[in-house]
Amino acid sequence: MSDHHAHYLAGKGSTGKTIMSWVWTYDHKKIGVMYLVAVLMMFFLGGLAALGVRAELFEPHYTEFVNDDGQVVADTKGYKGAGSDFVVPEGTTPEQRGVMFPNITVTTVETNPDTGERTEGTKTVTGNNIYNRAFTLHGTIMVFLFIIPAVPAALGNIFLPIMLGAKDVAFPKLNLWSWYIYLFGGMFAIFALIQGGVETGWTFYTPYSSTTEWGNVTAMVLAAFILGFSSIFTGMNFIVTVHKLRVPGMGWFDMPLFIWALYATSIIQVLATPVLGITLLMVVFERTFLIGIFDPALGGDAVLFQHFFWFYSHPAVYIMILPGFGIISEIIAVHCRKRIFGYRAIAFSSIAIAAISFLVWAHHMFTSQSPVANVVFSALTFLVAIPTAIKVFNWISTMYKSSIAWTTPMLYACFFLFCFTIGGLTGPPLATLAVDIHLHDTYFVVAHFHYVMMGGTVLAFVGGLHHWWPKFTGKVYNETWATVGGWIVFLGFNLTFFIQFFLGTQGMPRRYATYPTDIPAFEIMHKISTVGSWLLLLGFLIHLFVFLHSLLAGKKAARNPWGGLTLEWETETPPLEHNFEREPVMTHGPYDYDTARPVNADPALFPMPTDTPKAH
Amino acid sequence: MTLSTMSSSLATNAWDALWFRENGSAYAGEYNSIYYFIFWASAAFFVVLMVLMVWFMLRYKRRPGVAAEVSASHNTPLEIAWSVIPAIGFAIMFFWGTWAYLPKAVVPEGAETINVTAQQWQWKFEYPNGATSLQTEWISDMEQPLFAIPAGRPVKFLLSSTDVIHSFYIPEFRIKRDCFPNRYTVCWAEAKEPTHWFDPADGLAKPYDKNDDGKFTDGEQGYYLYCAEYCGDQHSQMTHRIAVLAEPDYQAWLEKQNNTDGVPLLDLGAKLYKTGGCAACHSVQPGGVGTGPSWHGIWGTARPGYQPLNADENAGAVVDEQYIRTSIIEPQSYYAPGFQGVQMSQYAGVFTDRELRAIATYIQSLSDDPAAVEKAKQKSDAEAAAQAASDAGAAEGAADESDPEVPAEPGA
Repeated sequence: MSDHHAHYLAGKGSTGKTIMSWVWTYDHKKIGVMYLVAVLMMFFLGGLAALGVRAELFEPHYTEFVNDDGQVVADTKGYKGAGSDFVVPEGTTPEQRGVMFPNITVTTVETNPDTGERTEGTKTVTGNNIYNRAFTLHGTIMVFLFIIPAVPAALGNIFLPIMLGAKDVAFPKLNLWSWYIYLFGGMFAIFALIQGGVETGWTFYTPYSSTTEWGNVTAMVLAAFILGFSSIFTGMNFIVTVHKLRVPGMGWFDMPLFIWALYATSIIQVLATPVLGITLLMVVFERTFLIGIFDPALGGDAVLFQHFFWFYSHPAVYIMILPGFGIISEIIAVHCRKRIFGYRAIAFSSIAIAAISFLVWAHHMFTSQSPVANVVFSALTFLVAIPTAIKVFNWISTMYKSSIAWTTPMLYACFFLFCFTIGGLTGPPLATLAVDIHLHDTYFVVAHFHYVMMGGTVLAFVGGLHHWWPKFTGKVYNETWATVGGWIVFLGFNLTFFIQFFLGTQGMPRRYATYPTDIPAFEIMHKISTVGSWLLLLGFLIHLFVFLHSLLAGKKAARNPWGGLTLEWETETPPLEHNFEREPVMTHGPYDYDTARPVNADPALFPMPTDTPKAH
Repeated sequence: MTLSTMSSSLATNAWDALWFRENGSAYAGEYNSIYYFIFWASAAFFVVLMVLMVWFMLRYKRRPGVAAEVSASHNTPLEIAWSVIPAIGFAIMFFWGTWAYLPKAVVPEGAETINVTAQQWQWKFEYPNGATSLQTEWISDMEQPLFAIPAGRPVKFLLSSTDVIHSFYIPEFRIKRDCFPNRYTVCWAEAKEPTHWFDPADGLAKPYDKNDDGKFTDGEQGYYLYCAEYCGDQHSQMTHRIAVLAEPDYQAWLEKQNNTDGVPLLDLGAKLYKTGGCAACHSVQPGGVGTGPSWHGIWGTARPGYQPLNADENAGAVVDEQYIRTSIIEPQSYYAPGFQGVQMSQYAGVFTDRELRAIATYIQSLSDDPAAVEKAKQKSDAEAAAQAASDAGAAEGAADESDPEVPAEPGA
């Protein structure tokens, strides 16, 4: 049997050969699948850290005063200020309560540099410190190891060449490099984690990150630096592939919108990531060689780091969300069987967002920079909101007079529209100077970016995973249980994060391990949020089991189960090693549902309008 | 908090809790209006979009064998409209928000200037008369200093940090400003009404019981000052009370904080432990935990020095007055076993000589050795007695102080 006609998941005769066919593969689909497995593992690891964070906040810390007999004499839970009759009872020991992460004592060994004598001592790591590591772990893993590669490197890798009608990406070897660099960077991150983790927050703000005595910052920063190369390589590969490898007959405006989104994303990845790389290297130099760049004690400037960091990390927000936009465009068009409304507006708004995203970085610094700069960046920030709003209108308009299949991907598209619209609409309060001063660095911001990143990208990613699952695995998943899982995720997500907007307006700062005991609203809202996080866990576990069940016991999937018109539905399921039997011919645009009949699909399931003119 | 009190406060305050906290400053009202404008405009927008989405989902649900109607996939007037209308809304938000913000970025003339120093992990207010706060309160799991500010006139906060970036945040005033090492930033507020009153009996600022029900509910005990920029281990415990006092009360409270002469050494040391930034890292419990070593039982123990340039110097020390003094002013001179590499902020110029002695006396009183504890008490009592004698005998000029006194002038 010729390799070219086997589907890409087929074994190679022996286990060893099959494994080697993955390890040294240049096949974009295999690389994409390996990426997918890795990012899903990272998602669960980062999610566990988030559950720990939520558990810690279930109730505030308080102090109990215990006498010599071990009896609790008083506590500070009901403490109401200096006017109350609360006094610390004589002869009692205060003990910290209400903490999920207790203080732990670790053994230290110190070596006297003169004599080489080693002395053992002990040192206490506070529960706060462990909480701080947990949220840093959550942020770092979710940003650098999950959400940035999730859509482009996993789903994008699998489908970008197929949707363009190409055999592979332009540089298959670079693609494999990108994967191994990701793996190497991920190992650095895991190493930093095993060594005890990092507690700087994923933003690594100086001078805290350049002076903190809790180590591993260098390892974690290097991990992010290495992962940046992986991201750049994927971006370069996609740009060249889109320019050079479109099947003959496919013009720029015949490309699926997922490709447009990945193209815009790739531009940002290539242009912005080097800035982060060099910034992180500077932090390493400052920590290691005491070169004063960001630390005022060494003659540096602390705010400079924030400029450099956000010059990458704000565009990075669009690296995370634009591919999500692309997925939603695909899902809505296919499952509504409708030409997407305002195709060019969506395509151009992706490019516009990519361009403007480079001009808004300093809105992360409204409380740290000059008021004049604030005005400029406030205005620029509102500019980026306009193309984003246009996309939402286009998606909802596409549903008008369409034929909507109630499938899991479409359900997720609706969840996306719901959550992302909330995420988008809570942007303007943060862009408005007078209001942002109050909301900056509070839970309002936490809720806002989780609605965009999780309610946006993650929901789109899970939707896209269901949309393309039958195609790239060749297996059908259980629609009922996927729907159940989807609803639980949706409810859990909103329960967790919606209340956080109000925590923010109430003034609860972010990254807090505890909060005052005498503000009842804080405690109630945090409890609600924590319960929501448990629902989220349940929902994602259901999805995991649905996918595992599908792989192990799922029925063989049809070639075009949704009746899609883009090229990936024309090939075999799962796709052939070189994607297509022969080069596909463009007979219709990606969304010509009014005029073109889907191939490989039952015409009875996907009828055409009765007055359909013949395909041109 | 029990579930029943939680649910009752939920019932009464649920609606209030969804919005901004009490408006404590002269200009916060306009900020609220802008937020509510954006909120309700967004809410209306959201409802329209979601109603359309759900309606389309139900109305255009796929029916077997029926194809979708052919309809337009492009409509220029509609697309222009939905680009321009949000743009107008955003323009209103931008101009209103900037208009309200810019004047508040400039501190009014004649504002009371308070120097605010942030450090890991405590705030310190230094008032125009040189005083710092000696009053403390329990918040969460920490006993933290309380800071008073006057009502009815602008207060300028001159912010700086001694270590990493912190952020000065008082929700009720709607102010937030980052504090940097080696750089000053400012923000200001004008508190509307007093939240506390000054009790001359014990010299403490106490909250008004507004409802006169003997209970102090949320919002009745003054405001919180938070650190809003992540700054390490006890970031979340950089939460302090802000008490707004009427002008005469404020002056009386300030005078009380300023005059530490009459406070015996031991009491002063115990107070400074809580208000001077020590408690953030050092416990006073046996085996207590923190970023730095517990002070309990360290008096008289041996401490290695950091490797000196000149091997004869700084080979080590035992914990005594001189050691404590050096460790506060130049913390990197020695280290406690198990805490090598821990960076303590420098406190040079922060404490007066008498305050340094007070802290040393307090640490001595935490010794395991009863004799040392007794000596600390004697030292404190003797100094108080000598001072009383000196005050009484000032006219006669007959005071005989074996231990010459440095006048306590904080900030001098």
